[in-house]
Amino acid sequence: MADLNTSGAGAVSGAGSVAKSGGLLAWLNAPERRGPLLVAPALITLFVMNIFPLLWSFGLSFFNYRANRLTVPSFKGLDNYEKVLTDPVVWERFQTTGIIVGASVTLQLIFGFLLALLFAKTFPLRRILLMLVLAPMMLSFVSVAIFFKLFYDPTLGLLSWAIGLFTGEPFILLATPAGSIAAIVIADAWMWSPFVMLLVLAGLVSVPTYLYEAAEIDRASPWRRFRTITFPYIKSLLLLALLFRTIETFKLFDLSFLITGGGPGASTETVAIYAYRLGFQFFRTSQASALAYLILFVVIVLTSIYLYIVNRRNEEG
Amino acid sequence: MAYRKAAFRKPGQAGWLYSLVTGVIALIYFFPVLWMILTAFKTRSDALAIPPKLFFTPTLDNFKSVFFRDTQAGDAVATGFVQYFVNSAFIGGSSVILALIIGTLAAYAFSRYPLKGNDTYMFIILTTRMLPPIVVIIPIFLMFRVTGLSGSYIGIILLYTAFNLPFSIWMMKSFFDDLNPEIEDSARLDGSNDWKVFFRICLPQVLAGLAATAVFALILTWNEFLFALLLTGSDTRTVPVAMANTIGGEIGVDWGLLSAIVSLFLIPVFIVTFVLQKQLLRGVTFGTIRK
Amino acid sequence: MEHKPMTLKRTLSVLALTAAPFLVAESAWAKDITIRMAAPDWGPTRFMQEHANATYKAPSGNNVQLEIDFIPWPNFFDRVNASLNSGEQKYQMIVSDSQWLGTFIESGHFLKLNDLIAADAELQAIMNNLHPALVSGYSTYPNVSAADIEKTGYPHPDANYYGFPQFPDTYVTYYRTDLFCDEGENATFKAAYGSDLPCNPDDWESITWDDWENFGKHFARKSGEKLGSGTADGDFYGIAYQAAKPLDFSTMQINAFFWQFGGGIWDETTQPNSPALGVVNSAENVEGFQRFLDLLEYAPPIAKTGQMGIFEIQDLFMQGKIAAIVDWVALGAPVIDPATSKVHDRAAFAVPPGNMRDGKIDRTGNLGGQPFVLTTWNDDEVIKEALDVVKWWLSEETQIAAVKAGGQSGLVSVLNNPDYESWAPWNAQHKAMLEWQKDLWHVPEFFELLTQQQEEFDKAITGQISAQEALDNVAAFQDELLRDAGRIED
Repeated sequence: MADLNTSGAGAVSGAGSVAKSGGLLAWLNAPERRGPLLVAPALITLFVMNIFPLLWSFGLSFFNYRANRLTVPSFKGLDNYEKVLTDPVVWERFQTTGIIVGASVTLQLIFGFLLALLFAKTFPLRRILLMLVLAPMMLSFVSVAIFFKLFYDPTLGLLSWAIGLFTGEPFILLATPAGSIAAIVIADAWMWSPFVMLLVLAGLVSVPTYLYEAAEIDRASPWRRFRTITFPYIKSLLLLALLFRTIETFKLFDLSFLITGGGPGASTETVAIYAYRLGFQFFRTSQASALAYLILFVVIVLTSIYLYIVNRRNEEG
Repeated sequence: MAYRKAAFRKPGQAGWLYSLVTGVIALIYFFPVLWMILTAFKTRSDALAIPPKLFFTPTLDNFKSVFFRDTQAGDAVATGFVQYFVNSAFIGGSSVILALIIGTLAAYAFSRYPLKGNDTYMFIILTTRMLPPIVVIIPIFLMFRVTGLSGSYIGIILLYTAFNLPFSIWMMKSFFDDLNPEIEDSARLDGSNDWKVFFRICLPQVLAGLAATAVFALILTWNEFLFALLLTGSDTRTVPVAMANTIGGEIGVDWGLLSAIVSLFLIPVFIVTFVLQKQLLRGVTFGTIRK
Repeated sequence: MEHKPMTLKRTLSVLALTAAPFLVAESAWAKDITIRMAAPDWGPTRFMQEHANATYKAPSGNNVQLEIDFIPWPNFFDRVNASLNSGEQKYQMIVSDSQWLGTFIESGHFLKLNDLIAADAELQAIMNNLHPALVSGYSTYPNVSAADIEKTGYPHPDANYYGFPQFPDTYVTYYRTDLFCDEGENATFKAAYGSDLPCNPDDWESITWDDWENFGKHFARKSGEKLGSGTADGDFYGIAYQAAKPLDFSTMQINAFFWQFGGGIWDETTQPNSPALGVVNSAENVEGFQRFLDLLEYAPPIAKTGQMGIFEIQDLFMQGKIAAIVDWVALGAPVIDPATSKVHDRAAFAVPPGNMRDGKIDRTGNLGGQPFVLTTWNDDEVIKEALDVVKWWLSEETQIAAVKAGGQSGLVSVLNNPDYESWAPWNAQHKAMLEWQKDLWHVPEFFELLTQQQEEFDKAITGQISAQEALDNVAAFQDELLRDAGRIED
């Protein structure tokens, strides 16, 4: 591989041999094509597997297609978007999702960060103990949901039993909307704090030692040391964690569907569950597609705000 | 190797007391997983017993039922779990490796050879992760049927690769961005070509990132359920689908069987993560060369 | 037709091997045909596969294999739905919940069988032998009531036939003999409520919801209190039935209360002339629903979460936490299995309580279980082979084997077999309850109706709104939705 480089115009002159025979290879290997060439496999894979289905449902969102009717769908323009935007249920679901995302991602960042600080030192058994903390995110949603539902069970549940030892009453977390949201947030935050931890840890361990040594000479306060030395190193990874956890938590489905069934009432129904119901149960296929694009739009706006803030900070810094 | 040790010692080396405190915290955190593993060795009555049973007579029956089940005629027949497990390993392994290769190359390009509208591309890549999978399932299902990919290994591997690409690219780009370009420039001046710079200079510095990406990608793929349910055939089916089989039917949740599958299924990810942990923990090895 | 190598055979190879000699002998001229059926993965369908491998030989002489694609129960609908919507055409037969019939018939996926049955005396005999409640719930669309089916027999002039019973299900009472037959318990119960505890299954035939409430009050114990001949090792509860938000886990029981109290659900058989407003929120329905809610007070505390589904009460019963529950016959087997149940030797089965109305006990219940259907994209030869599989499945011989293996049969001749009641401890009750079955809607909007109603019921169960409010909301929603769909017109 290392010798594929050519001595073409503008190329960094390498010590490697010149591959004159490979006309196409040489053409491909030209430096101005390097970016596109390296990016192409990723973009093609993504286009075929992800973007095509996205476009397909985008098209669908302008018709009145219902998968359980034989009638030929007709073009309806923005009707579905109007329906979705004026549907009070949609906004309730967005609120619920927002609360869960906000609470869960905040907890993940806090616990992930604290755990990372804990493991940033070296100490005996560190590798083993780290594995224990990483384990929750290696589980599947289904098993986490099923077991947390059991933990929350007022009669057979571990958590309810433990709390009952102190109160003497059966502990019934899932009886109220607030309790049910808490139950889902706890399960989700428990499962994914390790993700944040791992990213932060990767940043923490890469802070060069000499910076700390210099800080020690300067007698900088721990907070200042953290702000000026540590934080810059973990900032981009922390943002990445925030970005991905927000995006992923926004899609929360299984935990809510299996722990509370979206109840009590509809207090833990997320937008993902509503999209599922619209598309898969109510057969409002086109309307579900329109909702999908509304979700996409909201998440895009949200992530853009993140990225905007960070970029501005970077420029200031 | 001295510098590497030094890099480890950053905020400081702690002793056994620290291990003890951390150990207690880690155990509390790990407890629900521990409970699942213990449940795998319990009878149904013990699994649901209140007060909970920390000490009990362990049984291996659940593990036996992972691999064999009794027919009505009373014969024990294989459940197909071995096949599911091999499928999971093959599909998971292939798609993670593919995503790492394709994603790292793309990330390097996005970092070093920015395209016109580089950030837009990056953002579009990110958007592919934003939709709940359930809303794109029908078009994907349709596409798989039309192309004949439904029920094939290649189809689901490519799909999982696509799932893992956004994170791989973003993660690796952030690692490449943080590298000190002066090192690369000086290597070029010393006569290294671009490939050499990539493989010999850049890649070794981002091993931590690669390890972390690999772990995350593997976890995501390993546990993926919905597409596995809908797009695999009976001979390409993966373990999460078998896991769902332990819920519902004549009995709500087969607690022991579910736990046994969960426990067995944890082992490979656990081992891979443990092996990669060295890379995860050393961060960027040549600590001094970061910007 | 696809002729893929049979992977299921790998797992069931032992049984498949027994069919091998036939394959060799007839392969010279016999055609290979695979009938692939989508089915949830559980006992009744596994039995069908195993029994087919062991006994099925196509009368046509073709080499026909029944190949069941086993799908996890919780996601069975999703898998079938995705397959049908995408036009995959993978399955020749599908196990379908009775409520899905309208959805998939109107989208052209399930095959209407009228002409095929009319041309086949054997199938006609089967139709005449099937229990009318099952023909109504599992086969007809638009729905024809069980009473009408019973009146005319086969063929009903207006009926379109689609499905056959795969596993017919009803709910029954599971109760603890060590408590209900305990003399001490009976004495205190009689002192307080003036009647005996029902010990034998027969004693339950006079039990109403009022008695049920008394059981709830009587058997509620705190940890350490005396219970039967021992002490309660944790809080103990008297009664429970399903009251949960997922799927239809409260509708199935609440519908029974509607019917038993003289109310009902929106009647699809007389659309578009049957209203939802005033029917769904009728005084009878409100009264019945209120009764349902009141009785939850004596259930385990999980009732307050709206998560007390059919499996939760089954588990609580098997762990020895409840004296009596109402649950599906299909969930009975684990209860008497020592491997899964602490009360396996103390569990008995009886008819569920009913409501005393006009001097008679009404036990109307909501039909459970699943039919199986044929799909529309098969050629005549495959259809013929599929119908031969149907005939094999609904032959008396196969059905008896199915019941003996823990399944249930829809054939009246099997139900009337003198030994039938001895094949499972709940068979007598199941047979009695078949007479009381009605089904909920089969229209394509059923999921939307169900989801909204489950949500409103759940709000009432968790104490957020009253029974009246919940039913008013449900009625208003159904009125609007069904009007939009053209199923209600004035």
